[in-house]
Amino acid sequence: MKIIVYLGTGGVGKTSVAAASALALARTGVRSMVITTDPSLRLRTALGLADGITEQQVPLPDSEDAGELWAALLDVRATLDEAVRLYARAGMAQRILDHPIYATIASSLVGMQELMAVERIDQLRLRGFDRIIVDTAPSRHAFEILDKPALFADLSSSRKVKLVGRTYKLVSALGLQSIGRSAIDIYAKAEEILGVNLVRQVLDFYSIFYPIAEGYSRRAERTVAMLRDPAVTEFRVVTTPQKAMRDAAFFTSALGERNFPIGAICVNRAWLHAAPEPLPGGMAGDVLGWYSAVSESHRAAVWSLKEAYGTQVRDIQVFSELERDVDGVAALDVLARQIHLPL
Amino acid sequence: MDHQAPQPQARILVLCGKGGVGKTTLSLALGLRHASQGRRVVIVSSHPLPELGIAVSLDGLSRRFPEASRNLFVVHLDPRELLVEVVERAVPVPLVASTILNSSIFQNLVEISPGLKEFYFLARLQQLAERKRAISGASTPDYDILIWDAPASGHFLATLRAARAFETYLTGPLAAAGANLDRFFSSAANMSILPVSPLEEMALTETFEMADALSREFQLGCDALILNSVSPVVTASDADLATLHIDDSSAPALRFAVNRGLAERELCAEIRHRIAAPQVSVPRIRHWDGDLDLLDQIGEWLNIPAAL
Repeated sequence: MKIIVYLGTGGVGKTSVAAASALALARTGVRSMVITTDPSLRLRTALGLADGITEQQVPLPDSEDAGELWAALLDVRATLDEAVRLYARAGMAQRILDHPIYATIASSLVGMQELMAVERIDQLRLRGFDRIIVDTAPSRHAFEILDKPALFADLSSSRKVKLVGRTYKLVSALGLQSIGRSAIDIYAKAEEILGVNLVRQVLDFYSIFYPIAEGYSRRAERTVAMLRDPAVTEFRVVTTPQKAMRDAAFFTSALGERNFPIGAICVNRAWLHAAPEPLPGGMAGDVLGWYSAVSESHRAAVWSLKEAYGTQVRDIQVFSELERDVDGVAALDVLARQIHLPL
Repeated sequence: MDHQAPQPQARILVLCGKGGVGKTTLSLALGLRHASQGRRVVIVSSHPLPELGIAVSLDGLSRRFPEASRNLFVVHLDPRELLVEVVERAVPVPLVASTILNSSIFQNLVEISPGLKEFYFLARLQQLAERKRAISGASTPDYDILIWDAPASGHFLATLRAARAFETYLTGPLAAAGANLDRFFSSAANMSILPVSPLEEMALTETFEMADALSREFQLGCDALILNSVSPVVTASDADLATLHIDDSSAPALRFAVNRGLAERELCAEIRHRIAAPQVSVPRIRHWDGDLDLLDQIGEWLNIPAAL
């Protein structure tokens, strides 16, 4: 099994590129699955994920194609609920689900989405998919997919949730005297600064939630090991001409710090046609003049990117923007045919 | 508006919307515009500002727009730094404060307390908006306009919800502070909501969802909808449009530009059914790379008054 993780900021068409990649791979005869977080309505419809369906096999455009294309929608809250029901200690599931803190962690704990993606990869690995394409959350923090499992592992280690959770139990059972002097000081100060109420609520919640965090981090460790193995996983950055230099700088350094190579930079949504010369008059001339100004700045941006990053990133690909939003698998196919993928 | 008695706080203009739609550039252009009209403006962002930090040398800005740059302030609020301040305020002894900040117990508590960072972000935003000088004669700067270059829509809503979450799951002073922030940030008297979107289906869908949530949960309506990167076809007259013909023999560039423009025009017509607010169009231009004249031009296109 191989994994492709697409990273990128918002609005670059990352989900379309991920889905098109899955399509291109399926066409080579393998079973491929794209895991996406937030596809547009059109894409959702194209992938058969409308109306609450969270996993679907998508018919390939040509009947003679041999592989399978699947698409899955990542629902953070539902995945977390399921994990709580599966992994909580007896009698604790309902207490966790009803806890006031629980209602907010699915949406507000940074990296939750990435963590759920990691959980999903682990499940898919067992189901015999050859290629998994991950479309990460649309933010500059998306590479937290790499950090979060570690954070959760930390959280559930003695230094984190376990300590927080158990200390709380000890504190409530025996009083503060029974834990280390310095820890008491810190807790007392934290309560002073953040508010007794907040600290107690959080401790109370994590004292019942940490077995779930532990389970997550155990499974996440396995998945992160796969993500760390360049023979298994390739990281690709999706960007647009306007953002190419900025995104390349950001992602090469963010991934570099974590010792991950970038497999490819995909410059999506480029306007590549040359305008006819001389320009016609009237409205057509206005529209063409406008197009060619934007198009020239796109070509200049791609050129600068190749100049600056061509030696560092072995693969820089440019995809032209579609005239209309991606509509149906056929339109996805136009993009799929532009993408070069490792087999 | 400029001649009225000072309001109790700066007007907050919120540029919100999907990631990557141009909120930061437009915030800067709008800030520059108001600052050049003599208003004191602060632009607040919660994400690092490569655009502002790299592309605009503040030096260049003060040379090109000396008047405006005296009135224009840019603040990056890093949630982590805000918490450092909270601790340092509460614990005056630096050694003790740094022990707390460096302890894993404290760091973990902060990391796993939902909404804590957002809560302190909102508290600071409110503080920046308060016009201390007008009220108490304090010497700290105050502003006529605060432009909030908001995070992408999901996180923007989560930030607004953080105050309310504090109110519901806590009791005591933090709950009261949460209720206070919640009142402040759900008041249309303090906030002008200015969603930014290109004429693309996905960004618009997200904008509609965000506008619905703002109205449902916070009783905040949209004051204007900023359509960014629009094609000249969108703003063309029907007569001009009628002169555009494309067929299979047309140059691919023309076919692309016209089809794209017509798709945008269709979307533009649909929007009014979803968001009744006035629309402001900013044409798509070559990539903005820090060109100050272009920034000035964008500000002119934006032309959003201080009091909506």
